[in-house]
Amino acid sequence: MTETTANIKAANSNRLLQWLFNPFKFIAGFKALLLGLAVILISGFVGSFSNTHFDGVLDVHTGLEAPMWFFLAEGVINWICMVVPLFFLGLIVSRSSLRIIDVLGTQALARWPYLISAVVMLPDANRRVTGYLMSTLTQNAPAASIAPIDISIFVFAMIVVLLMVIWMVALMYQAYAVSCNIKGAVAIATFIVSLIGAEILSKIAILLML
Amino acid sequence: MKVLPTTCPSCSSQLSVKSLVCQRCQTEIQGQYELPLLSKLSLRDQDFIIEFIKASGSLKEMARLMGLSYPTVRNRLDEIIEHVEPAEKSRKDGKEKKV
Repeated sequence: MTETTANIKAANSNRLLQWLFNPFKFIAGFKALLLGLAVILISGFVGSFSNTHFDGVLDVHTGLEAPMWFFLAEGVINWICMVVPLFFLGLIVSRSSLRIIDVLGTQALARWPYLISAVVMLPDANRRVTGYLMSTLTQNAPAASIAPIDISIFVFAMIVVLLMVIWMVALMYQAYAVSCNIKGAVAIATFIVSLIGAEILSKIAILLML
Repeated sequence: MKVLPTTCPSCSSQLSVKSLVCQRCQTEIQGQYELPLLSKLSLRDQDFIIEFIKASGSLKEMARLMGLSYPTVRNRLDEIIEHVEPAEKSRKDGKEKKV
């Protein structure tokens, strides 16, 4: 392998990593907003088949039956609740001139790992295991025993969901850093404050919808 | 052509120009000249500024040409502004001292 080929391969793998963990270097604004909104709505739509709720900026829960609009609204609420504090804190701490379209777009697109969460929660096995666990926890006698394959599917889904939460938080942070041009300790501190605020805000907003 | 050094390899202070030469007639001028502000920037920054001028100062056009997002290009420009500001300030301070 020549040095040039090695350099091209390294550049390509670096670009792939950037697309996975910081796609906002290449995409932001209106394009990201359209893609992100589509991802949010499709995640809600897919989630509705397995009653998977994204009932908070970071939350993934199953169980509650609800109309389709409720699943779609949850995604939009989570997104807006994250954008509002990030944009205002960004205005305070950033020296750059910010565009709301960049914050809206990048934060929407940062939620795409939840589409994968919605997909892995689709199998009925997850609902059966959740039901079994809930009845055990509430001291009721379980309706039926759980097949080992159901437990395997459930464990796999939980691991994937956990990884997707971590990935989404990493993407949301990168989206904030790029769209508001903030780095270092200030970026981390303001992001954590926004995340906590957004989590509380989104929980309240979704509870008010019930 | 070699890359113009702008900082001292020994103490990292800003270098100045001591001698200029005409490549046609070899006339040499000796003195103490300050480097132009833009030449004090890194080559990467200088390339960005040239591209920025070629794009008529449009960050949107720059982003399109570079295949990057608008905020990424804007952040890069802000980074260069951060590099230029102290150099400009020290140049102004130097001029005021001379006056």
